[in-house]
Amino acid sequence: MERVAESLGAKVETSHNSLLISIDPTRVKEACSLVSAIPGLYHLTTITAIDLGPAIELRYHFWEGRSFVTVKTELRKEDLTIESASGVVPAATLYEAEIQDLFGVTFKGNPYVGKRLLLPDEYPADAPPPLRVEADPEKIRKLMGLE
Amino acid sequence: MSEPKPNDERQEIGAGLVEYSPENVMPFGPVHPSLKEPEYFRLILEGARIKEVVPRIGYVHRGIERAAQERSWVKNIYLFERVCGICSFAHSLGYTQAVEALTVYRVPPRAKYIRVVVAELERIHSHLLWLGLVGHWAGFDTLFMWIWKDREHVLDLSEAITGNRIHKSYATFGGVRKDLPEGIKERILEEMSYIEKRARYYNELVQTEETLTIRTKGVGKITQETARRLCCVGPLLRCTGISRDVRVEDPYAAYDEVVPEIQTSPDGDISSLLTLRIGEVLESCRLIREALEKLPSGPFRTPVPRVVPAGDSTLHVEAPRGELFYFVKSAGASVPARVKIRTPTMANLLTATEMLKGRPLADVPIVLTGMDPCFGCMDRVSVVDLDRSTEWACSGEQLRQLGINYYRRRK
Repeated sequence: MERVAESLGAKVETSHNSLLISIDPTRVKEACSLVSAIPGLYHLTTITAIDLGPAIELRYHFWEGRSFVTVKTELRKEDLTIESASGVVPAATLYEAEIQDLFGVTFKGNPYVGKRLLLPDEYPADAPPPLRVEADPEKIRKLMGLE
Repeated sequence: MSEPKPNDERQEIGAGLVEYSPENVMPFGPVHPSLKEPEYFRLILEGARIKEVVPRIGYVHRGIERAAQERSWVKNIYLFERVCGICSFAHSLGYTQAVEALTVYRVPPRAKYIRVVVAELERIHSHLLWLGLVGHWAGFDTLFMWIWKDREHVLDLSEAITGNRIHKSYATFGGVRKDLPEGIKERILEEMSYIEKRARYYNELVQTEETLTIRTKGVGKITQETARRLCCVGPLLRCTGISRDVRVEDPYAAYDEVVPEIQTSPDGDISSLLTLRIGEVLESCRLIREALEKLPSGPFRTPVPRVVPAGDSTLHVEAPRGELFYFVKSAGASVPARVKIRTPTMANLLTATEMLKGRPLADVPIVLTGMDPCFGCMDRVSVVDLDRSTEWACSGEQLRQLGINYYRRRK
């Protein structure tokens, strides 16, 4: 694990049961590929997105035994585009599609780019994605013509 | 819903998903009000054989993750319980344990054992419910009725212990809401003997009864390689022979002292899912006995403060359908900053599409039931048959009959 983190030049920290590898968004795909190739760590549990205000944080949780290895990155809201990991870890496909719908992150190379997995088709394209902090349910209802 | 615009011809769109022209696309789903969690599958057919499957979900997306950010820590226990109407205790357990990991308070041993008992009762009821449904979709309604009657015994126990049959509202921060009632131990042991007797009978039945074997042997087959690649979870993973279980690998509650024996099955088809789940029912009965035997005395709950310290925690539990994941982030406020849930069905969805590929249309109900989704689209299917230039809609019942007749003809 340390060797992988070293080869990526990433910062490693521990938190509860997780080993966090913080990395630049451009190298996330490479990191996922390296981490999932470690014997026993093939299982991508899910990808969590967190809205930090000016940026969106993405965490890729890989599980083995009593701990998680988490690849962590931050995307500035000005450019919410990142390379999809679905090519190297196919299980990421739907998790990325979910984040695309709920946070508006574009995962280049994911089959759901430009399509929707979760959001209804009538969700207004100009409204902020529903899990962003700036999404106001009242305004979205108005935009959808529900009020 | 309006269809995403398909391309004129076959086009690879990555990760094994393919788009086709509309001529041979069968929309499957999405909504029927009598069942929960509808999903939608675009089935691309070649004759009556399924070539590709593209899932589309979200029809009952209720924005629970967002709602959680506006409710207090305690109120959220009851909100998350309502994510699922079958494994409600697994959800409340996942959330409470994730929050407990952020605090310095520790759950008393007695509460840990009680949590194991209730979680295993829930596993039995969920597996029995599923087994009955497989019987129904295979055209073996007697089995369905027998099993659902047996399941009532477990639900009655759940009511006696927690006060409720389904949404138990039982787990809480620092333990459980109330102690086991007086005299319940003997009643549980008695019911476990009954369930074990029935489970052994069903185990023999599902392997010998032709109505079931003809519909399940070799159907919906997945390999270990596929299961690993698509990171599926729970019985679907274990039915390929991979021995993985959160309860054993990353023990929570009292699972480090009451250790489950992981059940596996080698064949990776619906038939092995049947025997595997019955094996898990028997194992759950054994775990409940062991937990009750070792049940420590003492308090069943520790008081915990209302404010959760800042920080984040990742936690997973083994729900009846597989690994259920919770991520909780606290900013030290009276409400959570972010809660992320990943349910087992989400993890198994891609694998379900693999299970359907190459199977006849007649297998759709049993394969989709086989993965044990929270799934409810059977009653609204429209079929477009361009050869005959006809369009027809069939109900879930008609589709069930299609499956039964298909196999009757082949007999």
